[in-house]
Amino acid sequence: MQRFLDPQVLAGISSLDLLARTVVDGFVAGLHRSPEFGFSQEFAEYRAYTPGDDLRHVDWNLFARTERCYLKRYRGETNSQLTVLLDASNSMQYTSRPPSKIDYARYLAAALFYLAIHNQRDAAGLIVFDEEVREYIRPSTRPGQLARLFAGLEQATPRAQTDFAKPLQHFHNALHRRGIAIVISDFYEKPETIIANIASLRFRGNEVILFQVLDPQEIRPAMKGSAILVDLETNHRIEVIPEYTKTAYRTKIDAHVEQLRSRARAAGMDYHLLVTTQPLDLALREYLTLRQAGD
Amino acid sequence: MGFLAPWFIAGLAVLGVPVFVHLLRRHITTPSPVSSLMFFERGTQSSTRHRRLKYRLLFALRAALLLLLVLAFANPFVRRSAADANGRTHLIVLDNSFSMRAATRFADAMRQALAALEAKLPEDKAQIMALGGELEILTQPITDGAQLRSALEGIQPGDGRASFSDLARAVRSLAETEHGPIDVELFSDMQHSAMPANFADMVLPGNARLILHPVAQGPTVPNWTVESIEAPADLSDPRDPRHSRVRAVVVGFGTPAARKTVSLIVNGKTLATRRVEVPANGRATVDFAPLDVGYGFNRCAVAIEGRDAFPADDTSIFAVRRSDPERVLFVHDAGDTRSGTYFGAALAAAAQGSYVLQSMAREQTTDVDPSRFAFVVLSDTPALPSFFEHALIPYVFKGGNVLIVLGTRAARHAPIPLWGGEVQDTHNYARSGNAAAVAQVDFSHPALEQAQPGRDNGGWSEVKVLYAAVVDPAQARVAARLTDGTPLLLEKQLGEGHLLLLASGMENLTNDLPLHPLFVAFVGRIARHLSGSESLSGSSLVDAFVQLRAAGVPVGTVASLEVIDPEGRRPLSLSQARNAQTFQLTRAGFYQIRFANGRDAVIGVNPDRRESNLESLPNDLQQLWSGSSGDHVPQTASAPSDDKKIQPVSLWWYVMLVALAAANAEIAVASRYMGTQREEA
Repeated sequence: MQRFLDPQVLAGISSLDLLARTVVDGFVAGLHRSPEFGFSQEFAEYRAYTPGDDLRHVDWNLFARTERCYLKRYRGETNSQLTVLLDASNSMQYTSRPPSKIDYARYLAAALFYLAIHNQRDAAGLIVFDEEVREYIRPSTRPGQLARLFAGLEQATPRAQTDFAKPLQHFHNALHRRGIAIVISDFYEKPETIIANIASLRFRGNEVILFQVLDPQEIRPAMKGSAILVDLETNHRIEVIPEYTKTAYRTKIDAHVEQLRSRARAAGMDYHLLVTTQPLDLALREYLTLRQAGD
Repeated sequence: MGFLAPWFIAGLAVLGVPVFVHLLRRHITTPSPVSSLMFFERGTQSSTRHRRLKYRLLFALRAALLLLLVLAFANPFVRRSAADANGRTHLIVLDNSFSMRAATRFADAMRQALAALEAKLPEDKAQIMALGGELEILTQPITDGAQLRSALEGIQPGDGRASFSDLARAVRSLAETEHGPIDVELFSDMQHSAMPANFADMVLPGNARLILHPVAQGPTVPNWTVESIEAPADLSDPRDPRHSRVRAVVVGFGTPAARKTVSLIVNGKTLATRRVEVPANGRATVDFAPLDVGYGFNRCAVAIEGRDAFPADDTSIFAVRRSDPERVLFVHDAGDTRSGTYFGAALAAAAQGSYVLQSMAREQTTDVDPSRFAFVVLSDTPALPSFFEHALIPYVFKGGNVLIVLGTRAARHAPIPLWGGEVQDTHNYARSGNAAAVAQVDFSHPALEQAQPGRDNGGWSEVKVLYAAVVDPAQARVAARLTDGTPLLLEKQLGEGHLLLLASGMENLTNDLPLHPLFVAFVGRIARHLSGSESLSGSSLVDAFVQLRAAGVPVGTVASLEVIDPEGRRPLSLSQARNAQTFQLTRAGFYQIRFANGRDAVIGVNPDRRESNLESLPNDLQQLWSGSSGDHVPQTASAPSDDKKIQPVSLWWYVMLVALAAANAEIAVASRYMGTQREEA
């Protein structure tokens, strides 16, 4: 089952629905072997019946023995709200091998939505942004929400540049209930600017996770000779020698990642670097951990 | 310098490929997209220049590789003289055959050969060979004059027979490794008898030039010799007039009619002298009878009195062994008295008193020691007393011989004593009314030997076989077969001894063989073969081989083997004596041999009498032979060898070697500069 979490395998699946189901089912099947995590169908408590409760959840066996009406509650029914902020700027279309960063981000978001709605019965919403908000789907548990979210992800094609200020302002205006906010981006911006814009999400009690999606070539670029590089967002060109990518570039990208991680932690946010060759279960595991902590 | 395939020069056009790739084609760099340039810095000039420099080295190597390949295919050559190209090899062949003992032939040939060796250019290689009996290669092709001279001077006149076909074969073998010109200088009396039957066997390879140095010029020297001797190898009764006699044939080569005195010499004493008229270029027969010799081995000779031009061949030697008649054990069934009668009568007639047959019923053999008999005959006695059968086994392994005759009793006792097999079946031809005949006879077998067998299969086709046992030949040699393919006479080696098996009886019931005249000769040959008397004495020719031990016996199991040559030396070392299967008689004279089976023998060895014919090859034949060599120009004895033939020497191989080196360098440079760079940790 683990091989279905491999991004290269997932790149061959065209349907986001099927992809998300494959990832989550595979992930859940893995969880059953792990004592560390529970999931939504885990029994939590009995609660006395009150008028208006759904009769489907009444434990009729208990009623037959005690003539008392109790509802059986599960952990998954302690509802939460998940909002994914997906960076769909031009830089996300970079790829050295399938999948591209935007596709990886889509898979990740789709898997999170499926896990949240189908397994956890959480409300889930989506904000697709670049330099402005391009798509907003309000968090909900209504039937068809998953399909709407997948459609939103399908339409999230990369364009323009990244600007974290506008989408986060929109997020502030739209959210009225605390929940989990997940920002998926390559974060090609100064760490202090990123953290300064995102830190405000924490003010309403939201749990914030930053998933930085990078291609392996962006972390350890391999150049055979000098080459002309084109910035996908600004279209600027410069000639670069391989010696530079082996030394100074690596130092800089490592420093950037480390700075982003430390600043995010300092601001009370979780940060994870995801390389497009990594399986998706790390992100799902992080989501479940954070959700359990919030219960 | 030139090219053997100049049209391949057109291939130089392919040099345009690296020129285009490295110099004409613009270096186009396709821009590579990246997510952001925020971590990149510009850096261009120095790296590009560095790369261009590397690529020029690669370009030079690639262009050189293509150029060399084109040159190699065009096959360049340089013109050099043939002598300079590979060096001339002088093959100095000195004839040391028996005929070279005549007059001063060998000394003359040696003197001329030494002179030819001195005349050789110091840088030319030379090889020394001796042509007598087997061609002897004394040195490798070398330039060391002292070593060559020493090898040449070490050659002594021998007793062998020269063969020009052996020389030609050796030169052909040498030419396979020496591709340069070879001068074959033959110092010989150019004896006519050394020429093979087929002139084509004397043809030399293309790069060999034959230079003849004949040492026997002029008319043929008259020479008388004892051509052959017919004498008993084994003699038991000197008074037997039919057997106790020596017949010698005196022959003259290029001789007029003459009266010659011929003597019989035994152990150094002249026993008899005869005068004989030898016709011109003819033969005369001399008889000496009776041959009165003492017990044991007698060294005999027949000599022609009066010296001629070649006295070395006036005497012919042979050995005669005088002994008491040997006993032959004839074991038969108690009810069979016919076999012994027929066999004994034939043996007495054939061997003339050399053997005494001791006939014995098989029940009486319990205490008999077979080692006291020359050989043993088991006549239709499938079941032997176990004590006697166990005594026969070591007897045969040590060299004893047994004749096994299978009669009608063989079918009732399937296992054949000593043989190691069984009677598989019996064929009773009498029931069908058609007696079987002997269809195949191996006349090379000692028991069936006939020099010129007649059309009736040497008399064997008249024999009617009515009953025969079927024996699986397996490892045995089949000497005769019946018309239906059933083996009739088989021979098998067991240790040092032999087992001879006759698949039909001798009682004149199962066949009518005892009634035929050839039965006497057959029994006589069997007796000589099984008693081993043929190899124990007599005479032989130089270069003949003697079998010292049985081929099937593991080497080293029997060590009592000794050879003493005519000079009294032991030519075999201890290790050779343990391992040698055969021995070549290379010298004339008496050899004393103790065989592996413990028997002693004295063999008189004479040179091949064809060497006594001193007639030389006619001049036209000599010229024809020299003309058959490489340059087809007949060479005389003092032919100058200073003709420098110009020949092209191809450089293809060297060019390809350089191209290979260039290819390796190109691979190294290309993999170093253009391969995937290893990522630093």
